[in-house]
Amino acid sequence: MNNIRLKRLSLRHPYLFALLLLLVALGVNLYFQPNLFSPRVLSGNMRIFLPMMLVSAGQAVVIIAGGIDLSVGAMVSMVNTILVTLITRESTTSDVLVGLLAALGAGMAAGAFNGVCVAFLRLQPIVTTYATSFIFAGIALWILPRPGGLLPSGMTELYRSAPLGLPLALWVAVLIGAAWVTVRRTRYARFLFAVGGQPESAYATGIPVNLMRLSTYVVAGFMSALSALALTLNTGTGDPRIGEAMTLSSIVAVVLGGTRLSGGQGGIIGTLMGVVVLGTIRNIISFANVPTWSQTLVDALIIVGALAGPGLIRLIRSGRERA
Amino acid sequence: MEKMSVSLSARDMVKHYGGVVALSDADLDVQSGQVLALIGANGSGKSTLCKIITGVVEPDGGRLTLDDEHVTFPSPQTAKNCGIAAVYQELSLVPDMTVAENIWLTHEPLNGGVLVNSKRVEKETRDLLELFAGTYSGDLEPGAPVSTLSPDERQIVEILKALSLNPRLMILDEATASLDAQQVDRLFNLIADWKEEGKAVVFVSHRMEEIMRIADCVSVLRNGETVGTSPIEETDEEELVRLMVGSTRAVPEQPEEVLEPSEAATRLSVSNLQTRILKGIDVEVRDGELLGIGGLQGQGQSDLLLAIFGVIPFEGKMVLGDDEVHFSHPRQAMRKRVALVPGDRASEGLLMRRSILENLHLPSWKQYGLPLSMEKARHDAHRVADTLNLVMSGLSADVSSLSGGNAQKVVLGKWLLRDPKLLLLNDPTKGVDVGTKQEFYHLLGELRKEGTAIILYSTDDQELLGLCDRVLVLQDGAVTAELSGSTLTHSELVRASLGSNQGNHV
Repeated sequence: MNNIRLKRLSLRHPYLFALLLLLVALGVNLYFQPNLFSPRVLSGNMRIFLPMMLVSAGQAVVIIAGGIDLSVGAMVSMVNTILVTLITRESTTSDVLVGLLAALGAGMAAGAFNGVCVAFLRLQPIVTTYATSFIFAGIALWILPRPGGLLPSGMTELYRSAPLGLPLALWVAVLIGAAWVTVRRTRYARFLFAVGGQPESAYATGIPVNLMRLSTYVVAGFMSALSALALTLNTGTGDPRIGEAMTLSSIVAVVLGGTRLSGGQGGIIGTLMGVVVLGTIRNIISFANVPTWSQTLVDALIIVGALAGPGLIRLIRSGRERA
Repeated sequence: MEKMSVSLSARDMVKHYGGVVALSDADLDVQSGQVLALIGANGSGKSTLCKIITGVVEPDGGRLTLDDEHVTFPSPQTAKNCGIAAVYQELSLVPDMTVAENIWLTHEPLNGGVLVNSKRVEKETRDLLELFAGTYSGDLEPGAPVSTLSPDERQIVEILKALSLNPRLMILDEATASLDAQQVDRLFNLIADWKEEGKAVVFVSHRMEEIMRIADCVSVLRNGETVGTSPIEETDEEELVRLMVGSTRAVPEQPEEVLEPSEAATRLSVSNLQTRILKGIDVEVRDGELLGIGGLQGQGQSDLLLAIFGVIPFEGKMVLGDDEVHFSHPRQAMRKRVALVPGDRASEGLLMRRSILENLHLPSWKQYGLPLSMEKARHDAHRVADTLNLVMSGLSADVSSLSGGNAQKVVLGKWLLRDPKLLLLNDPTKGVDVGTKQEFYHLLGELRKEGTAIILYSTDDQELLGLCDRVLVLQDGAVTAELSGSTLTHSELVRASLGSNQGNHV
């Protein structure tokens, strides 16, 4: 009975574990960095977290529907180079608009390419998106072989602004959360979880499984483009390899947030918490004078733990039954 | 409520899966206020026919007519839009979604066309659950994840899910298989109401007693072909069984000498064997005896063999030869010279990409020392290959290069090398050609002469009839009949499988 209640709770509120981690991580961070919640530090942190949040939210949608996208980092790089190439210090407002639209369009087109390969050509998501990540990374290098470019200062200042006393990035994060809570109540979300949970059942029930899969990759592409925008606004410049490290981190954030890697369970609220936990761990590592290479180790351990977790629990349980 | 009207007719439906013909010439007619029972033996094509009508499977030929108009259903959604809903045998539920989410999936009541109206979903789910009130435990409520429910409760959710569409034609494919008597009664009351409303029902079941109770009309499928349709009053169990069985008899070659196993020593004696599926089974088999296990698919036959071989945990007493044993791992069973030829040779019996030699010796490399004495291994393998009359290009060829029948011989061969005393066969001739089957039967005869006790589970009724001394028929994890001598006939076997004249579900 207890088991059933636990299962219900974890299905309805998949972010509970992430919330616990978040509180612990923030607590430790606060110990090392007492001014963590001062406006300046908060704004600085949020500016860094937001690109990760955007890209991880897209990743979460793909993973919930039973897929995975290893090309999000490369898409971020690609869109970043497009942005700094189309928008320069001299750009007029209409130039900026064209640049933004082109950037978002490119992200969605890249995502749609992934989606068509996975949903309609029936290629393995891991292999497909790993392969396409090289295409997108190649396009990024072709557009901008060397780091460079400069955005209008008005744009970067906007990103640093703090409407109503809170950093803009924080508002955007709240907006992502609110958007998810709304989407969660639409048919689209139900279909998403059904496709990820049991695709055969979803098909037999009349859900357009292929279209759903395609749509998740388009969402991931769109969110990667937004992430690239936030990242570019933060740095003000372009770098063809800027997104490289984001792919693995996005998956770690999704898993930390309580989303099951095999699909059908999870959400974006937890994912956002996962991003903050990861970022906070990074802060702690730098403040506690722990070598920075351990960050990769921590990322890897989290993934291995998440993958092995269910198996380990089963093993322990069956052992207990036998004893 | 206004009365619905519907008529559906399927003509000359054909469906192939690769080389296997699932349907060759199937017909089906049903209209408003009518319950059509669709019956047939294992693998006669009932489920395929249902899936064609619901758009899950696309037919290779034939004509579907709905309300006198020619239709095609390229997807389940199209069939659904035409008012056709199905309760499937393998459930179509998503385990990690709640009861309410599952029931209303794809037709959730919406607020303003976008957001799901969760209050209405909850209320209407409760209304639907009310239909089965009193027949399920407290766990079944709108907010419960389906994965936490018992099989009968899941089946109820599945039925309500189809009902929530308010379909004109309802297909119940083995919907009663996991329901208890009270729940079946409730369902039958509902079906009576549906008939009043003008719904049409296609009812697929193996339980003869239920068919006699609920059906207006019955269609019989045999080997993918409709062999008879008639109103229920104009037929009886006797005739239906005869139609399902047919007159053709391809009984395999009888073993040349009929042995007298009754004098041989008892090889295996199992009493009150219980697993998650089996409910107290007694089995006894003597040296040189061939005991058959029959019944509909999935009644616990595989479990019985797996429990004896130590693959799945069980309770009960097991005596092998003179020793009481309780295997908890196949290794222990192997040491006692028990062998199991598994049901799915590609995944459980063979390493498809490895050589025949390796496959043959997989359980016995221990005997060949360190370093392995390959010459002896090759010699032994050749000896077994000769016994089996294995058609191969050489011992080093991949198993995947062999035909289905020859691959199955390799599975058997690897156990013959260990000289088993008790051989367990789990549907060994599935997908094996006729010629190889004959060789296989001959080989079983040879083994019996040497005193090997054999337990054979087969979905091929003819095989059980032709080869076995005795056949135990399983239903719902219990032995419902033991057939031998004059009672070992096809109609007895089918009757016992269907549990007709009994209807004694829990």
